[in-house]
Amino acid sequence: MRFPLGLAGAAMALIPLSAALAQDAPPAAADAAALLQRLDEAEQRIKVLERKLELQDEATTTAATSAPVVRAQPNRWAIQSADGASFVRLRGVLHVDGRHFEGDGSPATSNTWLLRRVRPIVEGTFANYYDFRFTPDFGGGKAIVQDAYVTARFKPWAQVTVGKFKVPLGLERIQSANDTRFVERAFPTSLVPNRDIGVQLAGNLAGGKLNYNVSYTNGVSDGSSSDSNASPDVDNDAKGDVSARVFFQPFLASDNFALRGLGFGVGGTYVDSTGSSTNTLLPSYRTPGQATFFSYRSATAGTNATFADGERLRWSPQFYYYYSSFGLLGEYAVVSQDVRRVNGVVNRSDTLDNKAWQLQLTWLLTGEEESFTGVTPAANFAIGKPGRGAWELVARVHELSIDDAAFAGGADSFANPLTAARRARAAAIGLNWYLNPNVKWSVDYELTRFDGGAATGDRPDEKAYLTRIGLAF
Amino acid sequence: MSLRKWLGTAALAAVIAVAGWQSQAHAAGSVTLLNVSYDPTRELYVDYNAAFAKYWKGKTGQDVKVNQSHGGSGKQARSVIDGLPADVVTLALAGDVDQIATQGKLVPVNWESRLPNNSAPYTSTIVFLVRKGNPKGIKDWGDLIKPGIGVITPNPRTSGGARWNYLAAWAWALHQPGGNDATAKAYMAKLFKNVPVLDTGARGATTTFVQRGIGDVLLAWENEALLAIKELGPDKVQVVVPSISILAEPSVTVVDKVVLRRGTREVATAYLNYLYSKEGQEIIARNYYRPRDPQIATKYENQYPKLNLVTIKDFGGWANATKTHFSDQGTFVQITTQQ
Repeated sequence: MRFPLGLAGAAMALIPLSAALAQDAPPAAADAAALLQRLDEAEQRIKVLERKLELQDEATTTAATSAPVVRAQPNRWAIQSADGASFVRLRGVLHVDGRHFEGDGSPATSNTWLLRRVRPIVEGTFANYYDFRFTPDFGGGKAIVQDAYVTARFKPWAQVTVGKFKVPLGLERIQSANDTRFVERAFPTSLVPNRDIGVQLAGNLAGGKLNYNVSYTNGVSDGSSSDSNASPDVDNDAKGDVSARVFFQPFLASDNFALRGLGFGVGGTYVDSTGSSTNTLLPSYRTPGQATFFSYRSATAGTNATFADGERLRWSPQFYYYYSSFGLLGEYAVVSQDVRRVNGVVNRSDTLDNKAWQLQLTWLLTGEEESFTGVTPAANFAIGKPGRGAWELVARVHELSIDDAAFAGGADSFANPLTAARRARAAAIGLNWYLNPNVKWSVDYELTRFDGGAATGDRPDEKAYLTRIGLAF
Repeated sequence: MSLRKWLGTAALAAVIAVAGWQSQAHAAGSVTLLNVSYDPTRELYVDYNAAFAKYWKGKTGQDVKVNQSHGGSGKQARSVIDGLPADVVTLALAGDVDQIATQGKLVPVNWESRLPNNSAPYTSTIVFLVRKGNPKGIKDWGDLIKPGIGVITPNPRTSGGARWNYLAAWAWALHQPGGNDATAKAYMAKLFKNVPVLDTGARGATTTFVQRGIGDVLLAWENEALLAIKELGPDKVQVVVPSISILAEPSVTVVDKVVLRRGTREVATAYLNYLYSKEGQEIIARNYYRPRDPQIATKYENQYPKLNLVTIKDFGGWANATKTHFSDQGTFVQITTQQ
């Protein structure tokens, strides 16, 4: 059989074409397979990257729950735990004072610059409920512990403090040294305890409108701290002082803003203890310029010093009122002290009532709100900028009077009228400049007049210019 | 100090004590425990804690609530040393508990001898979990270092399971013809080159492989692999049994310093003892761990693959294994630093 030439030729032509077509098909499939594999690999890489990001986020979240938080702000230098339950804060107080006296009342040698307070403060909270504070003080060329206590805040109305702390009685004593409006506190503070060692139960009730505290401490003489005891920081009379105070702010949440700043209270301390001629347990009192103007008789022959013998009862009603840029603070303090003096064959005892009061006015000229605590300027002072800080005008009158019975008895008196004044009355005016929340400059002029306390007539007036540059954070 | 002062101070101290005690611990009728465990035991302890609570209530009338913490075994041990108040630890390996004893000084150094089977109430081992159908044809450890194979394992620095993985792989490499430490180390370096992600714990690694779809093979606790098949279905993943693996012995102990402080020694000890009871061993087996009780083990033997196992003794114990492989100068750090 013979094929037609055209068909044969066409068949011949088709052979290489079909062969060629057969060779092209596998490469296309192979390309698709390779492409799919590359897609798979890319998808895996994306999944790996996403998973790594996931793990990184988990690690960051875990780290955040345990990483401490460090804060460095003008009023808060602290390290805080990640859960916020604990923190330790570093604070500090530096008071550099200047004292200058005019007239015959104080010798020129009393003029001085001094480091009144140099206090690094470590405070904080552990486990949400346990506060602590540790305050050494290197001012005045000494090294003492001002505060060292732990407070367990179980409830707002039941907080237990153990350690060395301010005995909460005197209103101006309770006020922080950074917040007092004058360089030195007024006379009522001289009659109330400063810091003592013991235990205290305190709390706030009625939404903060009522504050109370009850404490049981070693006991200190008027105006002093336990580090000033004859045997420092221990009980010197084997008897403890019981203290209690209540303070009301009845209009704290009132809609009447004019009443919100009113607070008043009363407190007292009691002890029945006996000193001795070598450890009298009795105070001295000082002027605003820190000169001693009253002391009980000390031993001159044998053991004839005046000493505490029996009950000491202190009580102090107090108040403050703040409204807008004005503030008014007042307090009255009485200490009723049983004393004894054995001078030869004469053995005398009596109960002496020493009293003090003060009234203090403050006015923030730059319009900020007055309060019992510190002043925050509306605009900090900075050179080249418009802020001027806060300016405050302050004035006060205060008095301390000794029981006349202290001077009765001639040579057998409990106090020597030729060296111990019967009364000190003072008036002061001052200006405070708060450059910012941390730095304050105070200038006071204080005139103090005395009844008695000199061989002839009265002790000369003290005319004191007091200034302080204060840093606190 | 006068009597009056002492009485006053004592009264205030009593206030502190009562108020503090009220914020602590438990009421008379209930107790809580914290069990710090390794990563994959979540399901086990959900079941076990319910059973133990029922048992303890029946025996003593006291309610017990067991709180759980899970994570990589090494990481968990570190947390306990750093203060996590665990009444008991149930960790992946004895080496992590040893750290709590020696570094944390929270348990005595002879803790292992206090419970049967060296305080390991169950065992497990390491297997491969692969995609259904085993598309990459993974049969044994040698396949893991082939190019393009993605191996999922947690970080041996944080995960106890990862340490068992590492040692099982090392054991295989040693058993190869001409195998020695150098060849084993070279093998491990190639293995970890194929590891794209290092999770901190075994459960994380399972998540990476199973849920994120990353990798071709997961080096897994046997119980974790069997659980994955149960939960995902046998049509998604399958187990490949390697030629050699390691007998993994997770360890448990009471944390003495914590139970002494919390007054929970009795219930914590009972909690661990109950793991060895019939019911405890049943729960262990139902969760795919290998029970110690011979009867229970026989009852469930068909669910476990047959394996050729080395033990930690072949590595000189955990102290030696940790120092050689997992310390800052160990082989794991060496091979990953070189990459």
